[in-house]
Order: sequence, then C-alpha cells, then structure tokens
Amino acid sequence: MDSLVMANLSQRPVRTIISAVGVALGIVLVILMVGLSHGMLQEQGRRNSNVGAEILFTRPNNYGPGTSSVLSLPVQYAPEISKVSGVQAVSPIGQYLKPSNQSFGMEMVEGVDIESYQKVTNLSISEGKNLTTDDEVIIDPVYSRDKKVKVGDSIDLFGHKFYVSGIYQPEIGARMKIKLSMMQNLLGSKDRCSFVFVKCKPKYSQEQVAENILTALPDNKVLFTREIQELYEKGLPVVNVFVKAVVVVSIIISVLVIMLAMYTTIIERTREIGVLKSLGASKQFIVFEIEKEALLISVLGTLLGYLVAITGRWLIIKNTSLIIELEPKWLFYAALVGILSGLLGALYPALRVANQDPVKALSYE
Amino acid sequence: MNKMKTILQTIDLKMIYQIGKIPVNALRGVNLTVNEGEFVAIMGPSGCGKSTMLHILGGMLKPSSGSVLIDGQDLSKMSDSSRTELRRQKIGFVFQKFNLFPTLTAEGNIRLAERIRANGNHKNEGERRTEILRLLNLEGRLNHKPLELSGGEQQRVAIARALVGHPAIVLADEPTGNLDSENSQVVLKMLQELNKKFGQTIIMITHSPEAAGITQRIVQMRDGQIVK
Repeated sequence: MDSLVMANLSQRPVRTIISAVGVALGIVLVILMVGLSHGMLQEQGRRNSNVGAEILFTRPNNYGPGTSSVLSLPVQYAPEISKVSGVQAVSPIGQYLKPSNQSFGMEMVEGVDIESYQKVTNLSISEGKNLTTDDEVIIDPVYSRDKKVKVGDSIDLFGHKFYVSGIYQPEIGARMKIKLSMMQNLLGSKDRCSFVFVKCKPKYSQEQVAENILTALPDNKVLFTREIQELYEKGLPVVNVFVKAVVVVSIIISVLVIMLAMYTTIIERTREIGVLKSLGASKQFIVFEIEKEALLISVLGTLLGYLVAITGRWLIIKNTSLIIELEPKWLFYAALVGILSGLLGALYPALRVANQDPVKALSYE
Repeated sequence: MNKMKTILQTIDLKMIYQIGKIPVNALRGVNLTVNEGEFVAIMGPSGCGKSTMLHILGGMLKPSSGSVLIDGQDLSKMSDSSRTELRRQKIGFVFQKFNLFPTLTAEGNIRLAERIRANGNHKNEGERRTEILRLLNLEGRLNHKPLELSGGEQQRVAIARALVGHPAIVLADEPTGNLDSENSQVVLKMLQELNKKFGQTIIMITHSPEAAGITQRIVQMRDGQIVK
C-alpha cells in the first residue's frame, strides 16, 4: 500500500480520533441546536395553531406566541377589540418561558382568563376540575404523562406552589395554564398580557375582522392562527440568527481543530515533505495529499457526529421536555459544514508546507 | 568508438548564501561534465560545497549564477515548478539518512515514488521493479516497515525508490555514511552493479576513499571549487 494518507491516519490514531472528535463537535452542535430550535418552534406552532381562535392580536415587535417572556400588552386592549365589528369573543393571554423544574430545558406557562379563554378556544377539562383559585394549575395529558404529574399534585412555578386542579384537552398553547391575574402578580406585570386571542363571528371573514381591528387600533399587529405553524416552520428572525450563529461557530470549531491538527502533524512531518519534494512531488500533489487526509478525518468526524447527535437526541428527548427535529436537510448541511470546514482548515498548512524550501525541509530534525 | 553523451554539465556555477549581512560563497565557479552511464564520486572536506552542488544538480536549489544542463535542459533558468518537473522525470535521490517514510512498508515507499513519477499516468513498472528488487536483494523484505529493516536494507529500499521511473541521474549524498562497513560494502556493490547492469549514471558524494574507489572517476572539491 502506498497510501500516505491511510498510513498517516492509522499510524497516529490518537491524533486522528481527536481531530475527528473536533469535527464531530461541530456536527453535533449544528444537528442538535438547529433541531432543538426548529423542533421547539414547530411544536409550539402546532399547538398554537390548534387553538380555535382565528386571530392573534399583539404588539408590532412580537412575532407570535412563545417568542417573548415579557407581558408587554395592556389587557385594556381586550375590551376595545371586543367592540370591533365581527369580533365574537376575545381572551388576553400571558405567556412566560421558564427553565424546566425537573430537567434541562425550557417550559412555557400560560396565564389565562379561563372563562374568556374557553369562549375563544375549544378547551375542555377531561379530568379533575377547571381553574378556580389563584393556586391552581391545569395541565395537558402530555405534561401529565411525561412529568408523571396527576390531579392533586403540586408544581412549583415562579417560586409559588400550584396544585393541579385538572387536565385539559386538546393540546393547545402552553402545557401549563394558571390564572392570568396570578401570573401578573407573580411577574409584577399588573394589567398586562402577551397577546389577545380573537374569535370571529360566523359569516365574517377573518381578513375583514383583522382589518377592522387594525383600523380601530392602529400601530398594532394581527396574525392569523392558521398561519402560525407556517410562520414557526419558516423560523422566527431571532431563531434564524441563532441558527446562523450556531453554524458559524461550528465552522470555526471544525476549521480550527483541523487546522491545528494538520499544522502540528505537518510540522512533525517536515522532513517527509522534503523527501516528497526530492522525489519530484509537485505543490499540487502535496496539497492534494494533505487535503485527502483532512477529507478522511472530516468524513470520520461527520459520521461520529451523526452517531453522537442521534444518540444525544434520543437521550435528551427521553430525559427532558425538549423536542429535537432531525431534519434531513440539516443532516446534509451539517455534513457539508464538517467536510468543507475540514478542507478549509487543512488548506493553510497544506499551502504553507507545499511552498517550503525542500533543502530546509530535508535538514529538519 | 561510441561518443559518450553528456548527461550533466555545470558551467561556472556559483552559489552565494546570505547569512545575516555576510555573503558566503558556497560554490565559486564549478565546471563539471558527467557523461551518460558514468559513476562519479565527489569528495572533499566538510563545508567545501559538495552538498550544495548536489542540491543544485537535483534542482532543489537555484544557483546564484552559472548554468546547470541536465540532458540539455538548463535548470538555472527554470521556474520552481519546472525544476520540480525535471527532478520528477530525471533525478533520483539517495540520502545518508535513508529518508524512508516510516509509516509505509518498503513496497509502499517504492510505490509512492512510482506514483509521483507517473504523475497521474498509469505506467506498468512491475517488470523493472522486480528486476531492481532482485538486484538489491529486497524481495523478501517488501512488507516490512523501515524500523523493521536494518540500515543496509533501508538504504537498499531508498536506492530502489530512487531508481523507479528511470531517472537519468542518481544523486547519492553519502549513501554509506550511516552504515557499518559490512552494509557499506553491500550498498556500494549494488550501486556499482546498477551502474554496470542498467548503465545508470550515478553521482555520489562521499568522505570515504573506499567508497570513492569503486567509481569510475573521483572529483575533488575544496572551498567551493573543483580542484581535481
């Protein structure tokens, strides 16, 4: 066998493994972080689009439910909206994203005015009873199953103990709902909410009602709940920036790891490069050999990254409330990131060594 | 009588190294002619410019002035990539420290050289390789890595590597410098046989009069010049 590449990889297994792990790190970061952000958003989008109300009224800088932990909208908008032509019912909602109590991850809590909420949505209590006091919380069946919480159990939210009064159906909005007034008190946001759900009267088109609302209350924003899932699937601007940042960080990690690995190994092999030159190897030949080595390490790192990411996803989903989407498109992009970063990282050391003086290289000890 | 073809010629070859601000004259106008099929030894004290000259003859260094004609092509006027190309086609190097790739087997080292010399063109070197390996008595050692071979065996692998692709000239830089006398004898005998059997032109730098004694001509250098 005359393959310098394979011989170098097998002769220096620790270096090969460390380099592959470096590439794998970038792959895992891309797959899990992008999968996590998309998974959570899509799940959130699905639950919010099932809500029953047709229109969501919010502030112009809010992209929809689940995107802000600040109760920024005055509740006073709700009675104003209810006066608008074509509006059947309205319900102000407070949403708050908090760290999970039982595991790594985030959890959404909703503050609702349960009477108006049930008028705009199709929520019903399947077990136990409805929200009546400030210390009560209702949960959905998935939360009950995953967290092993049943009616009568207590949940700690915002440093306050809440008792599970009932389990609701279907899965809409956040998995935990408390009274809006209690959420306002606990967050110090009196008379504020995150958005208002609007149910349209039959015979009125959603578009017409939305226009009527914006005419009555200009400088605000309305979203159709039927479009929420699509909005989430496309990604919110802030999430898209996050995804780009993750990809850039992954590329930087992979480039640096490969560059460092190839640079140190090439310094070690300076004399060998001199010998290659004495044999008549061209600069292109030397660059190509080094790039081939980097390519193999990158492929190895990509496969390792896939393995770790898939295992990690399974463990995370099993043990936390997080949802991670495994998207074929992003598996492909992650591989592209790993392989291109590897090739890019090896390029500088390869070019540097290919331009080295052969006599100096041969005298390197 | 056949007129011998000149395979290598240097004309007023000079090499000046700049060490800091001080110019050092490593070669001071070397004129040397080597005919095809000759086995020439270059002798001289350390620092007399032997290795510098060998590196220039092999196209690894560009001379400060003068000409180096290899098979009619002037190395001194060539770009770095053209000198690499000429080295690939016409020069084989043998080093004192063998310089084999430690991660490759003996056969791997030879095949790598074949791949470089072929430059992407598929050439069947099998017959010549077998003949060389038989001559160098390496047939049973091909699957061993350099560290599993004796110094003499490593140098024979290095010679085999230098010979793949039919180089016009083999440049050997003290090929017995790292060997004991017994292995030195074996290596020298093989170089001599290669010269006789294949008509291989060999230019060998050596400090050893014994090694120089097997060649057809001895060139003596001193202070960057040929003195005899």
